[in-house]
Order: sequence, then C-alpha cells, then structure tokens
Amino acid sequence: MKKYKDRIFVAIVGLIFASMTFTAWIVSQKESSESERRKLAQFPELSYASIKDGSFMTKFENYTQDQFPLRDAFRTIKAVFAYYMLGQLDNNDIYMKDGYAAKLEYPLNEDSVHHAADRFEYIYNKFLADKNRNIYLSIVPDKSYFLAEQNGYLRMDYEKLFAIMQDKMSYANYIDITTTLDITDYYKTDTHWRQEKLNDTAAKIAAEMGVTLSGEYTQNALEFPFYGVYYGQVSLPLPAETIYYLTNDILDSCKVTNYEDGTVGGIYDMDRAVGKDPYEIFLSGSRSLITIENPNYEDERELIIFRDSFGSSITPLLVEGYSKITLVDIRYLRVDFLDKFIEFDGQDVLFLFSTLILNNSETLT
Amino acid sequence: MKMLFSSTPFLFWFLPSVLILYFIVSNKLKNAVLLLSSLFFYGWGEPRYVVWMVLAIIMGYMFGRLMDRFRKEPTISKILLVLSISSSLAMLGYFKYVDFFIGNFNAMTGLSVPLLQITLPIGISFYTFQILSYTIDVYRGDVVVQKNPIDLATYVALFPQLIAGPIVRYSDIANQLKKRTHSFKKTALGMRRFIIGLGKKIMIANLLGELCNIFRESDNKSVLFFWLYAVAYSLHIYFDFSGYSDMAIGLGKIFGFNFLENFHYPYISASITEFWRRWHISLGSWFRDYIYIPLGGNRVSAFRHLFNIFLVWMLTGFWHGAAWNFIVWGLYFAILLIIEKLWLFHYLKKSRILSHVYVMTLVIISFVIFDAVSMGQAFSYIKAMFGAGGYSLISAEFLYYLRSYGVVLILAMIGATPLPQKLWNRVSATSVGGNVMILVEPLAISALLVVCTAYLIDGSYNPFLYFRF
Repeated sequence: MKKYKDRIFVAIVGLIFASMTFTAWIVSQKESSESERRKLAQFPELSYASIKDGSFMTKFENYTQDQFPLRDAFRTIKAVFAYYMLGQLDNNDIYMKDGYAAKLEYPLNEDSVHHAADRFEYIYNKFLADKNRNIYLSIVPDKSYFLAEQNGYLRMDYEKLFAIMQDKMSYANYIDITTTLDITDYYKTDTHWRQEKLNDTAAKIAAEMGVTLSGEYTQNALEFPFYGVYYGQVSLPLPAETIYYLTNDILDSCKVTNYEDGTVGGIYDMDRAVGKDPYEIFLSGSRSLITIENPNYEDERELIIFRDSFGSSITPLLVEGYSKITLVDIRYLRVDFLDKFIEFDGQDVLFLFSTLILNNSETLT
Repeated sequence: MKMLFSSTPFLFWFLPSVLILYFIVSNKLKNAVLLLSSLFFYGWGEPRYVVWMVLAIIMGYMFGRLMDRFRKEPTISKILLVLSISSSLAMLGYFKYVDFFIGNFNAMTGLSVPLLQITLPIGISFYTFQILSYTIDVYRGDVVVQKNPIDLATYVALFPQLIAGPIVRYSDIANQLKKRTHSFKKTALGMRRFIIGLGKKIMIANLLGELCNIFRESDNKSVLFFWLYAVAYSLHIYFDFSGYSDMAIGLGKIFGFNFLENFHYPYISASITEFWRRWHISLGSWFRDYIYIPLGGNRVSAFRHLFNIFLVWMLTGFWHGAAWNFIVWGLYFAILLIIEKLWLFHYLKKSRILSHVYVMTLVIISFVIFDAVSMGQAFSYIKAMFGAGGYSLISAEFLYYLRSYGVVLILAMIGATPLPQKLWNRVSATSVGGNVMILVEPLAISALLVVCTAYLIDGSYNPFLYFRF
C-alpha cells in the first residue's frame, strides 16, 4: 500500500478540494442569510469601469465568501475551532458564558458617550427647557455589565459611562435600573432583555416618575422559535429560545400609531413573529416615531420616551400610567424636525438608552 | 484588491481553473498557460501595472539577448549591463523610493516639493531582483541566454512566486522552464506544502496579526503588553512570510518546478549570523552573490570589509521599505553581525540556551523597529518594553489577550521549531505509523483545508505583509 501513498494522498485531498470547488461554481446565489440577518453579496457587475477601479475584484471576493456552499456550517466550524481548539475567549467579539452569548463591549468610548449626551442636551435646549419639568434618564446595561468582569472578560468602565451621562444631563433625574436587573432578564442569544422579566424594572422607573403600576399581566408564549442576533454572529449551535409577551385588558385596548406609514395597530405586531427578528413583535421594532394611546386612562398624562430598541419591550409595561406615550427613536428621525410631529407641552420625558447605543452613538442624529 | 493565495477567489476559482487548463494542454503550451494565468493573477490586483511588469520583462529579455550578442566585446557588453541594471533600478526607484527621497530632500532643504504619492506595484521588488539576477548571470556567462521570450516571461511572472517570493534565480529553474516532470509524488508534496503554508498563514499569522492590531489600537498598554505584541509580531511575520513561501514552493511543485527553500527554522538560531542563514534565504543569498561578493566580500582590507557589510545590510533594510526604520533595521543587523564576527561568536558557542535567548531578544527588538511607523515610535516602544515608558507592568487587556491568544502563541512557538516535523517523521518511520499515516495524513491535510476555508468564509482578518516589498 505504501507505494500508492502519494496517489492516495492526491486522491483524497484532491477529491475534497474538487468537491468544494465544484459546489462553489454551481451553487445558486442566495439573497440573504437568515442566521446573520443580512443581505448577501451578489455576483458583481462586470464592466470596464468596475475592473479599472478594482471594485469588481473586491465585490467578487465578497461574493465568493458570502455565497460559498454551506456557509453557515463553515462559520460554525470556524467558531468551534476558535473557541474549543485554540481556546480563544471570543469569536468576532462575541463570547459565550453560561449559555449566554454577549458582545465584548470594550473599551468605553468616551467621545461617543459625550456625543450622545450632547445630542440629548440639544433636544433639551431646543424643545424641553421651558416646558417640560419632569425629565428622566435611565440607562439599560448590556449583558456584559453582568457577565464580563466576574468571568474574566474585558469590561468597559460602566460606572464612568453612568457618571458622564448623569453629569452632562443634570437637567434629568437619573433612574438607576442596574439593581433591578440581572443576566437572567436577557435573552441568551440576543442583545435584548425579556419583557416578562421587566416588571420590577418597569415598576422602579414608573415609581421614580410618580406612577404606580399594578403589574398584572397574562404571559403568552410566541409559538415560533427565537434565535437572537448573537446566534448568527457566534455561529455555535445554540438552542432556540421562546419569546414571551405580556397582555392585559389595558394593553389589548391600546391604539398604536406608526407615523412612518400612518398605520394603526396594537401593542404586539404578530406579523413580525415570522420575520427576520421576532423581537420586532414589540411595537413593530425599529420605528422612528410611534404613539400609544391608552383609552383606559381617565386623566391626561403623557410621556415622551427617547429610546432605542430596548424601549420597545418595556414601554408597554408603562402604558397603564399614561393616557399617551410617544416613542421617538432619534437614530431614524432628525431631532431638528421633532416639533413638526410632537407638541412639547409639559409631558414627562424619559431618555431610555442602552449602554450599547451610548458607547456607539454615531447613529444618533 | 490583490489576489491572495489565502483567499476564496484564488483557492476556488483561479487555481482550479489554471490547474485544469495547465494539465489539459500539451507540454509545449504549458508555459504559455502559466504566463497568461500569471498576467491575469497580477492584473487582478493591479490592472495598470501589468504594463510596467511586461516592460520590465521586455527590457530584461532585450538586454539579455544584446549582451549575448556582444559577448566578445566586453566594453559594449558592460555598457549593456549597466544600462540593464540602471533601467531596472530606475523603475524600482521611481515606484518605491521617489517619495522617500523627496521627503528627505524637503526635510533637509526646507522646500516643499510635492510628493508623487505613487502606488507601489505589488511584487516589484521581487520581480526586479529576478530580472537583475538573470541579466547579471547572462553577462557573467553563468547562464545561457533565454531566446524564447515566453519562457523568460514565465520565469519572471510565474504567479506562485511573483508577488512575495522566494526570489527564484533564473539559473535554478532554467532547465525546468524547458523540461520538467509532473508526478503524483511531486503533486502530493506540493499539495501538502501548499495547504500547510495556508494553515500557517490563516491559523497562526492572521490571528497573531489580529493581536498586534489590537495592541496598536489599545489605550490600555502595559510593559508586558508591549512584550506580548513584540513576540506576537515576530511570530506573525515569520508565519506570514514563511507560510507564503511554503504556498509558493508547493504550487511550484504542483506545476513541476523545484524552488529553493526560503526559510529554515530561523528562530532556533544560536547567533544572528545563523539567523540570517535561515531567514529569507533567497534575499540574503541574492545580496551576497550580487552585491557583497562583487564588492570583494571579506577578501579586502578590514575597513573595506566593514564598509561592505554596512552597505549590504543597509540595502537589505532599504529593500524592505522606503523608510528610515527599515534602513536602521538593516544597519542594526550589520552592527550585530560585525560584533559577532569580531568578538561574540566565540562566547555564543559556550551555551546554546543563552545564545538562543540572546538571538531571540535581539530579533524581537529588531521586528519592533521593522514594524514601527517611524523611528520615534520604534524608540518609544523599545523604551516601554524595558519599563522606561511610564506604563504599568501589567494591564487588564494584556491578561485577557494573553489568555485568548495563549494557545495560538504556544502553537506558533512550537511550530517555529523542527519539533512537529521530527515527530511526524518519527511516527511515519515506524511500520504501524507509516501505514496509518497513509490515510491519516491526507485526512489531516484535508481537515486543515476545510478549517482554513472556514476562516476565509467568515471574513476574518487577512492582510499579507510582504506585498509592500
């Protein structure tokens, strides 16, 4: 057999190489990747200009990577190799601890935090300073706040982030919610927190704003499996999770108006349950401007929340205490135009942002 | 966008297409296939610069023919050689060094002559040196002039070694350009060598390169983090460059060529002299044969000998890049080599361990100079490594990245020694091991190919250092 050693070598390695090549040549291209929640590169336009400026070559490489057969399986091989063979602590800045996938949110980007605070101050000076007295700030810690330090991962200086925001937003009352949260209040495969675990947090925010909540809800399970945003990024075989959402008569009767397209609906957008990101069932996900009207609230008390996606799941729990809540996402709406849509007139105002956005605030307009 | 060997377009589109074409055409057309595919390969990264490379090849061909034609007229032949060397160096100088000279001229005179900001054609240092070696060898009568322009162009443009070496001498492959053999043995050797090189590049060099980038961007540096960076960079550059050389040599084998080795475990050296016999062998021997020995080598006065050493090492440094840190890097080795020759060599023989520590410490420091963006940065990094930078001894980032890259670093350190190869040979030499290896080896190499592909598909960090040379 030894005399055939080289032939056997060429046959085995050649066969595997040829199989990978052949499938790469014939595989039909996909539009998007479900696990990575993004569009995949398509075969680039071939032209004299695209060759001359090199864009064809760059796009072709992206195309060959994105459209490689069994891409997800290869990405899993890479992740398994990185974690378990090379003992790397993170893969593409995502790490796993106790079944939780979290992003290595490090280091503290002070410029970014200052930028966010400056944008909020701009809003305050332009629209709120003369009219709104009850202004609040609350910061949602990301998962690394609970996971990083005690497990040996790099931890940004959260205390400094909180201090900068409080210092620069002296016009707002700070509501500390780090004490009502722990890691189990978050999805294992996603950035976000679990609505069904937020009663204490919502109660604390409400109490600080002078509102009492009954906190009585029915817990409902979404029948579709949920794979969060980190599931695709970490590329390890993780079990699906279940999204639970809370309902009661008050929430069922609320009217949600989406100002992007003028549609009116309910708190939970069940069409989104089968979409790319089922977390978007909460107030239809990323929307620049929506209002929630609560017909069961007898007086006139309004709240404006400047928020990111964490606000989508907690806001329904605050609805009980207000006749109307307006949610503004200044990542998608220029702050200069706010008064075209909102009449600022003595409403309570809550700035509710996650550390993820504050530390990466370039998207705040 | 250069076409890297370690990229999906090369591995799964270009290479298979070339292999199919190459092995279906007759022997007469094989060089033409290699030439055309090499021009495509080069043009993929730098469409405009194909013209310059073709011009360099034409000049090399013409000067070779003319020198052969006027062989019996030494004056004309010498003038042709000078013209040949001047034109090749002028092209290299224009693309690679002109801004360096303008910048220094501006600094000395206070003028502000605008920089030309020319993009460096990839591989220009490699193919220029190959053409120079060819024309010099033709002048010396060491090789027979190549009359077939396709064969000469194939030699210069051959894509396995075109953009990152090794610097293949024409004399080493002149016969193979005419007649070479292809066999399962050579193909198996080539595939094995190529995939191992790919693994060195992707699994070690890229990961350590990532670590170096993390260090450079860190605001949490410490003395030990500087050392971690310096060690990681030294291993990174070795695995990056030797991995690429392995891939080039492996591809050469598949196409029937035998390129000479370019690295031979340099990090096990017991002296700097030995290190340079093991590191970038094709460059070192090029400078020895075409600069050092023609200058008289060591068969001259002591003063002239020192001058020769300094000149050769300054040029070696300058070859790597148009910046002062590369020149200083070259001169740093010149000084070390002179110290060894005059005094230290005797002591280095006394303790293998101490001499190894000495070599590695100085080599690691040399690569800090090599990697620096300026001499100012090089000095501040070296100062920091020895506790004079005002940094704390240890930092959170150092501990995290030491843990995260610890296994890669250990694998790299072991992989930089002959130990894995010796172990492999020892197992293969036994009768049971030999039989088991018949299946285990191709499966292990295939698994390595799959893992490397996985890293490429995930879009990981994948630059290549030696393209700038």
